[in-house]
Amino acid sequence: MSQYQVLDRDKHRELRIKTGYGAALGDAVMYVMTYPMEFRDIQSCYPILFTKDPNTGGFFAAAVLGFEANQNLFLHDNGWDASYIPALVQRQPFLLATGGEDANAAPVVSLDLDHPRVSDREGEALFDSQGGTTEFLHRKVALLDKLHHGLQHGKGFVDALLRHELLEKITLDIAFNDGDKRTVEGFYSIAEERLYQLKGNVLESLNEAGYLQPVFMAVASLSRVRDIIERRNRLRVQA
Amino acid sequence: MNLWDTGRNMDGRISKIIIVGGGSAGWLSAGVIAAEHRIDADALQPFEVILIESPDVPTIGVGEGTWPSMRTTLQRMGLPETDFIRECDASFKQGTWFRDWRTGSGDTYCHPFTVPTDYAEINLVPHWLALTDAPQFADAVTPQTALFADCLAPKQITTPEYAFVVNYGYHLDAGKFAERLRRHCTEHLGVKHVRANVLHINAAENGDIRSVTTDSAGEISGDLFVDCTGTNSLLLGEHFEIPFQSRQACLFNDTALAAQVPYADDHQPIQSCTRSTAQTAGWIWDIGLSTRRGTGHVYSSAHISEDEATAQLLAYLRESAGDEAASRVVPRKIRFQPGHRQKFWHRNCVAVGMSSGFIEPLEASALVMVELAAGMIADQLPPTRETMDIVAKRYNQKFLRHWNQIVEFLKLHYVLSARDDSPYWRDNRAPESIPDKLSERLSLWQYRSPWHQDAEAVDELFPTASYQYILYGMGFNTEPRHTRAHQQDARERQAFELFRKNAARATQLRQALPGNRELLNKVNEFGFQNL
Repeated sequence: MSQYQVLDRDKHRELRIKTGYGAALGDAVMYVMTYPMEFRDIQSCYPILFTKDPNTGGFFAAAVLGFEANQNLFLHDNGWDASYIPALVQRQPFLLATGGEDANAAPVVSLDLDHPRVSDREGEALFDSQGGTTEFLHRKVALLDKLHHGLQHGKGFVDALLRHELLEKITLDIAFNDGDKRTVEGFYSIAEERLYQLKGNVLESLNEAGYLQPVFMAVASLSRVRDIIERRNRLRVQA
Repeated sequence: MNLWDTGRNMDGRISKIIIVGGGSAGWLSAGVIAAEHRIDADALQPFEVILIESPDVPTIGVGEGTWPSMRTTLQRMGLPETDFIRECDASFKQGTWFRDWRTGSGDTYCHPFTVPTDYAEINLVPHWLALTDAPQFADAVTPQTALFADCLAPKQITTPEYAFVVNYGYHLDAGKFAERLRRHCTEHLGVKHVRANVLHINAAENGDIRSVTTDSAGEISGDLFVDCTGTNSLLLGEHFEIPFQSRQACLFNDTALAAQVPYADDHQPIQSCTRSTAQTAGWIWDIGLSTRRGTGHVYSSAHISEDEATAQLLAYLRESAGDEAASRVVPRKIRFQPGHRQKFWHRNCVAVGMSSGFIEPLEASALVMVELAAGMIADQLPPTRETMDIVAKRYNQKFLRHWNQIVEFLKLHYVLSARDDSPYWRDNRAPESIPDKLSERLSLWQYRSPWHQDAEAVDELFPTASYQYILYGMGFNTEPRHTRAHQQDARERQAFELFRKNAARATQLRQALPGNRELLNKVNEFGFQNL
């Protein structure tokens, strides 16, 4: 369960945040949400697929990390093996809370006190002895700002894809080297045939919204599926 | 000068369809025909669908329950499921739950929309009959009925529109449904809507209908006239005088008392099946819409007085909705004659909906018959007047077969009852009230359970699986065979494996599927995706 609180200089003065990556820190996830402005970085390491929020049925973009629940093939004993780590992982255990009663209220930095990264002994401090903000917290807040901006920009992205019928169901039928076979369902990818038939106005509107380049980044990212299959094959050899 | 009269086609091509009457029948027909023959501005031959609706005649809300076929019909018309559910107060229906039909003392059974598992391959009836301590038939052969008791939904919010985890149809508000279809037909499918009263039906020289004269839109001519005028049957019945064939000697019910009941609060579970509770001279329906319940007592006026029938309905409502809700109910009385026209397509006129016939809503057959009619008219639309009579002949054969099957299948529910508490139930078992074909089948089924060979046509309205659900839900016994098949052991293993799998699947589904109300709330808030 999660227990979110608005970050408070007095209340949270002594809190520390464990850094690094690992299953014990909550990183053993099959996929993590991403957003169009991050696609360029994400596609260099991970496939970008779309999946549905089980609570609303709405689509969101995700960087895929594994082939089954709780499997993150990028996690190793000594950390996260990739040149770029998704922003929604880096931001843990923080988030920018918006809204509440007032939809126009400025977002405030909050954190999940039940997150395994939150500690009172280990890790980076948030405030110094005088109550000043540490460099660590500064960096996290800057990241949250960037993330917030990216999520705002990406709000209309999925709607635009659906409007132009640019999503299609994708079923990954994979046979691993050790003979294990897996059918991964529940994911959607860019409908390439439709994409290459888009014309004038539609291309222009996607481009103006900043959505055209991310669409191609998502297409390009499918090459990374090979990489995670390889990671999965190596995993079994070690085991 | 008449805006609507663009004249008939003198070359005999069928391109102008006139639908007389709104309501579910009229708008479903208009929508299915228009969707199949998209009106295209560039087409060489203009194609028109015009629906004439009286501004004065209120539509009868017949059939608030549908079959799974309605998903296909709505999809065919291009109506998004989310809009349909939100605007027609619709909810999900997975079948029918019967109470008190066998003995009248609290017995229950289910007729779900899902056929028994692996039905194409194996007949589970003999294997189920051989079980000791067997669960009810439907519970053994499908996981679906495990969802009825807790009012669970047939899908999740992540399931695309019109797709399912377990098969479903709908409960809907028929008035809102007709209204929503009208908007879809006129805004998206190019159907022209004329609000006027039909005063005269004008014959052509060859005996066809040439046109209809209206009070406010002049004379409207057409190539094919679809009669959706309800029990008035203005075109087929009044103009062409096609006789009505009563089926009351077999199915006695001729009166309904309908009552709307509110939910206790916004959290009361919404039933995901129609509930049918037998009474002393009829039965009470109970369907869950998203906003209210629709209930009613349908009965035989020859067997019970209106006062008694009302008292039974109110007793049911007191039990299921409380004294206060029951005290506020004012039932609306609907009389009907069970039966149908002797034929349904005559010359250039075809009747759809109540103008072609009506029989008690025991298996919600009214709307599905409209869908089948609209579908066949759209698919088989004769290109020329010369070929229309051939299509009409085939249509009449097919729909007479459908009506006969409805009568037979509904009668099956009554003849299997062991109730002996009123003349109604005894009269229902009188041999002279039972169609010959049904008597023959029941004789056979004492020794062999119905399966694929019992279907007489590929497009039968009620599949043989439905006969299994009613027969063995009602406690019918089929004697075991005295010979064993070479493959008997393998079949038995397969059957027991399926029983085990169904039970496991039922447990899994009960965990995965949300409540009907919970899902409807999510549809209202988020909607379904279309992929």
